[in-house]
Amino acid sequence: MMYVLIFLQWICVLALAPLTVGIVRKMKAHYQNREGASILLPYWTILSLMRKEMTITRHSSWVFRVVPFVVLATAVCLALLVPSIAYGILPHAASNIFLIGAIAALGSVFLVLGGMDTSSTFGHMGSSREMTLAALVEPAFYLVLSTLGLLAGVWSLDGIVGYFAMSPWSAVVPVASITLLALLAVILAENARYPVDNPATHLELTMVHEAMILEYSGPYLAMLEYAAAIKLTVMLVLFMNLVLPFGLLHPAFGLALIPVALMVFVAKLTLGGLLVATIESTIVKMRFYRMQEYMSVAAIGALIGFILVLIGHTL
Amino acid sequence: MPTSLYLYLIEAAFVLPLVGAILALVLYRVHGANTATQFLFAASGVVGTIGIAGYFVSGQGNVAIQVISGFTVTPLAAFFLALVYLGTFLTSIYAIQGLRHYKKIYSIPWLNVTSALFILGMQATIMSGSVVAFLIAWEVMSIAAYFLVIADRTDDSLRAGFLYFLMTHIGFVCLASGFLLLAQGNVFATWSDVALGAFLISPQMLSVAFLLLLAGFGSKAGLVPLHQWLPYAHPQAPSHSSALLSGTMLKVALFGFIQSLFLFPFIPMWWALVVIVVGLGSGFFGALHAAVERDAKRLLAWSSVENMGLIFSGVGIVLVLRTLPDSPVAWSLAGTMSIFVVLHTVNHFFFKTGLFLAVGAVASATHTRDLDLLGGLARAWPLFSGVFLTLALAAAALPPLGTFFGEWMYLQSLAVAMSVLPTSFAVASALIMVVLALIGGLAIFTFVKLFALVFLGRARSDHAEVTTRMFGTLLWSPLLCVVGSLLVAVSAGSVFSDVAMQDAIGRVASLSVMPGASINVWFVFALFALVIIGVYLIRRAFTNVAPVRITDTWDCGTPLTPRMQYTATGFAAPIRFFFRSVLVSRKDLIKEPIAAGNPWIARRRLDSTIGSLWEHTLYMPIAYWVMRASTWTKRLQSGVIQLYLLFVVCALAVVMIIAL
Repeated sequence: MMYVLIFLQWICVLALAPLTVGIVRKMKAHYQNREGASILLPYWTILSLMRKEMTITRHSSWVFRVVPFVVLATAVCLALLVPSIAYGILPHAASNIFLIGAIAALGSVFLVLGGMDTSSTFGHMGSSREMTLAALVEPAFYLVLSTLGLLAGVWSLDGIVGYFAMSPWSAVVPVASITLLALLAVILAENARYPVDNPATHLELTMVHEAMILEYSGPYLAMLEYAAAIKLTVMLVLFMNLVLPFGLLHPAFGLALIPVALMVFVAKLTLGGLLVATIESTIVKMRFYRMQEYMSVAAIGALIGFILVLIGHTL
Repeated sequence: MPTSLYLYLIEAAFVLPLVGAILALVLYRVHGANTATQFLFAASGVVGTIGIAGYFVSGQGNVAIQVISGFTVTPLAAFFLALVYLGTFLTSIYAIQGLRHYKKIYSIPWLNVTSALFILGMQATIMSGSVVAFLIAWEVMSIAAYFLVIADRTDDSLRAGFLYFLMTHIGFVCLASGFLLLAQGNVFATWSDVALGAFLISPQMLSVAFLLLLAGFGSKAGLVPLHQWLPYAHPQAPSHSSALLSGTMLKVALFGFIQSLFLFPFIPMWWALVVIVVGLGSGFFGALHAAVERDAKRLLAWSSVENMGLIFSGVGIVLVLRTLPDSPVAWSLAGTMSIFVVLHTVNHFFFKTGLFLAVGAVASATHTRDLDLLGGLARAWPLFSGVFLTLALAAAALPPLGTFFGEWMYLQSLAVAMSVLPTSFAVASALIMVVLALIGGLAIFTFVKLFALVFLGRARSDHAEVTTRMFGTLLWSPLLCVVGSLLVAVSAGSVFSDVAMQDAIGRVASLSVMPGASINVWFVFALFALVIIGVYLIRRAFTNVAPVRITDTWDCGTPLTPRMQYTATGFAAPIRFFFRSVLVSRKDLIKEPIAAGNPWIARRRLDSTIGSLWEHTLYMPIAYWVMRASTWTKRLQSGVIQLYLLFVVCALAVVMIIAL
């Protein structure tokens, strides 16, 4: 039963990851008074990329070819280890908060190496910026995760989501509100969204993630695009599961509720996509050289959130 | 193993480097002398490691054993001795081939004699049983290290060596006075005498002694603000000696500090807080300077400052937790933090030794350590770049290498501390975690930069246009370091996994405080391997596997040159900008007119330097006042003989007044 749920959760995230990207794009198009492409377009993009011929620059080495595998593998691991449609199914030791942070960091590192192995200024610029952002976002990321762990009394994401699901909404979410805001800031930075990065443009000096993967083509590009979609889905669903911890499965509920949980999952993805699209349509991208302000605000927010939770914890 | 056998082995490990030194001098001009000497050093390392293993296996691993009169092996000493032996082994293996290109630069026989004395000094420091033996051995180690630093006799090395010589002797004075304060002036006191005597000393005097010892050991370990010499001195030594200096000698300083903690009858909390602040400060400044550094070996030296800072902060946290009375939770957290200290000591030893040797191999093939001039070496040396990448991942504390597990223990202990300790400690833990995460992020930045700028992209200058292949023998030691780091991961991993954690609850009521404070590495390793294989198979089966088209990098229609790539300086520009107030970085546009009278025709260049905050706020003011004072005293030195006679008479008069 447990393994069925783990497998189901994993497959759902993997299957619906491109859909998240499609939903966000569609909603952004609506904000801009455009019709927008079909929300299924990311699937077609990935499928057609898989069939295309690859070109690889002569100035790259074996690292360039290893990168897509490692990046996709870290994303697939995240999809397995982060609770999305059920809780109480993963061993605590496997979904430990710092382990998940480290796996995410490993993915960023290899993405950066791929960008550096192109010998193009675009790739190098994106890599330099991505590495800086990844370094500066760590304090807020780890403190937010520990604060949630402190609140829930458990150091695994599975347990944290479980605690949120089992407690009354008004007892946990308001206390953790500042922490969750800091988490949102971290998620936007980690996934290269506004106000940190602009995912919609190519070849603008503003971009980070797209610059790194510029030299990739064909199946390798499909792998990297897919990995980015998985990471966005996982983090967005985690955030939604903490803000609205309803409709989550537990092994004790039995299999009959699976369709309900799946519908809730899709609804959360849609809401999360709406949230991201709203953020991206209502605020402007920050200048890169003001990023330390954004990161400081995230870290200070995480500290304030920690103190709030600590007060609640000791009372 | 019977007691006598492993004692003989440890004694042999002590004698073999000396034999090597004598051999190096006897065979001064003989071809192959270096190989023979290095084999003896390596043999010393192997024999010593077996001896230490025997010491632990024989069941006497919890008692002190006298090796020779005045020199003992305690359990703590045995651990650090093992690092010295392993370091000797790894660096000597490398030096067999590594020194071959440098016959014109170094006087190799004398270099080997110095190395032998250095190795002996480290062993003797760790085994010494009394104050005087410790101080003498420490001084032998320090002086030998000085000669290693100035081995190539260039101006840079002499300047760095002078700075080192000065700082190490300031440190020595601190150590000697600290120990003598504790031992009440008895130089020949053994450690147990000192510990007993310390009960009779007033708390104020104890505090002074503690701060002196912290300054003494801290100056050797590179803690701020006494770290200034380390990034200059360590890189100037030959690469295998740099590895020994950074990977091993710093651990001897750590050993000295930990051992002297046992001399104090009690440790008040504010001492421990000083250690934490100094440690985290070193970690931050080391990580920040490493992130913006462009000299590969100096980058590694800055990273040593960072890692020693982390280890010392861990020691400080252990000390704080031990001061909390009647708190089993705090004591078990002290246990887990001790695990961090041990693990990180071993991990730092492996990755730093390996990286220094690997960077040395790169430098000997390309004749430069400047990251702005390298690049593209992964195509020339695929295997070597793989080893380097693994070591860089270890240094960045990423899974699945050993360093990750050590740092995980640190983070997890802080997280647990937040929930179980009183509020003030919880807030302190959160602040420490913020600093720690920032240091960790900067470390990842540093080592990604190091690997990417050396191995990826295109060669940025003729230096990196190598066509020679990497010597296999240069690869062995870094490869062994990778194996070591993985072994740490596997052994630490099995301790941290759920099942083993439950067994350990009885002994250290460690992380049973809360569920989930454990990581199951086997699961993660297996998952990662399976996923990569799965992705690879799916890619083979379902996507276009036609041979790839090799093209040029997309260039917007203008051919790209290697000079259009980012350099290390450019890569670190955001970090330099964000931390510009701490880094004291300066950019000057220098304009030199070519034709006099026409200001428009000029040669322009950009000069960018990174200063040190401590140099500006601490060292320069001190230097200024010392210079002022000496200018003032110079007035006495008029060169008139009558004046000097007057001084003599005055001095005599003062002496008479005091004496009578």
